[in-house]
Amino acid sequence: MKIAQGMKIISKGWVQKPKGYRVKYCDHDMTINYSPDLDNAPLDSDVTAWRYAWKLYKSTKSDQDTVQEDELVNITVVDTEGNDINYYVTGTPKIYNKKE
Amino acid sequence: METQVEKLQRIGLLMKNHGLQLILALLILIIGILLLKWLLKQIRSGLEKFIKDANTVSIIVNSIGVLSMAAIIVAAAEQIGLKQGTGPLILFLMVVCLIAIGVIVIFRPLIPTLPFKVGNTVKAGNILGRVEATTLLNTRMRTFDGKTFFVPNRTILNDIVINYHFTKTRKIMINVVVRYDQDLLEAKRAMEAVMIEDARVNEKPSPVVFTLNLDPNGVELGARCWVDNKKFWQTKCDITEKIKYEFDKQGIVIAHPQLDIYQHNVQKDLENYSSDLEDEQMAVD
Repeated sequence: MKIAQGMKIISKGWVQKPKGYRVKYCDHDMTINYSPDLDNAPLDSDVTAWRYAWKLYKSTKSDQDTVQEDELVNITVVDTEGNDINYYVTGTPKIYNKKE
Repeated sequence: METQVEKLQRIGLLMKNHGLQLILALLILIIGILLLKWLLKQIRSGLEKFIKDANTVSIIVNSIGVLSMAAIIVAAAEQIGLKQGTGPLILFLMVVCLIAIGVIVIFRPLIPTLPFKVGNTVKAGNILGRVEATTLLNTRMRTFDGKTFFVPNRTILNDIVINYHFTKTRKIMINVVVRYDQDLLEAKRAMEAVMIEDARVNEKPSPVVFTLNLDPNGVELGARCWVDNKKFWQTKCDITEKIKYEFDKQGIVIAHPQLDIYQHNVQKDLENYSSDLEDEQMAVD
C-alpha cells in the first residue's frame, strides 16, 4: 500500500471533522431551536460554541423548577448533522440547564 | 476698469443665457464619473475571476477608465455648446488618452507602490496593525490595542513589511514542555489529535508534532499545523486551550521551571575524613 492510500484510510476512518457547530436549545414550550439557525452558516469553533452556550445559559437561567417563559433549557452544542458534541474540557457530553 | 457690479451682471447674464446647459453639463460630468466608478469596480471584480495578475487587471481597468472619462468630458463639452469645434476637441482628447494609456502600461511596474491594500493586516515600520487608509505621504494604521499610527510611506518603503494577507494560509506553532517522567508518546498523540479534530486545520500539509528539545526542565514538543489566514489567531488560541485540557484529561503534566538541589554536609565529611586519617595512622603505627 502506498503512503497516499494509507493517508486516505486514516482520514476516512479516524477523524470526521465536523463542518461546523451550532448551539441547540429548547424554549419554554420545549421546541428545539438552533443558534445560528439552520439557514445561517454555523460557527467554525467548538470552543466558541461552548462559550456561547454557557452565556445563553447564564443569561436565561432561573431558580424555578418549571421552565419559565424567557428561559432556555437543555442547551448543548451539536455539529451540522445534529450530532451531540462532547464538551472539550471533559471529553463527555454536557447539557446546560437540563430540564424535562 | 470693470467693477464688481459689472462682473456680477455679466455672470448673471451668462447664467441666464447658458445656465441650463452649464447645469446639464455639470450633471453629465458628476453622474458620468459616479457611473464610471461603479462600472470600473464591476469590471475589476469580473476580471479578477479570470485574470490572476493584479497588475494586468489594473492596466485594463485604468485604460477603460481613461477612455470613458474622455467620452464623458466630450459629452459634457457638447452640452455647453462646443459642437462647432467638437472634431478637433475629440481628436485632442483621444491623443491625450492614448498618451495616458501608454504611460500607464509602460511605467506602472516602475512606479513604487505600497505592498498592501486598505484592510490588510501588516507589520510595517515596526508596527503591527490593520491598514485603514493610505495617502501620498503616510499610511494610517490601527493597532489591535486601538491606537492609530500615521506611518510615513518613506519609512515603509525603506523597511521590511510583513503582509499577513499575501498568503492564504499560515502555520500555527505551539510549543509545550512536558516533564521528563511523562509518557512522551501519549503527549504527542494528544497534541496531534487536537489539531486533526479541529475543523479549521487544513488536512494538507497534515498536522505534526515534533520533539524539539531536551530542555533542563523537560521535553519540548512542537505542534505544527496550517490554517486559513483569517482564522489563524482564533484557531491558535483554541488549540492551545484544548491541548491544556487534553493533557489534564490524560494526566500529562506540563513542566515548570525546576532545579534539583543536593545538600552537601561539609561538617560530616570533615569528620569522616579525619577519622579515616586516624585509621590510616594507626595502621601505619
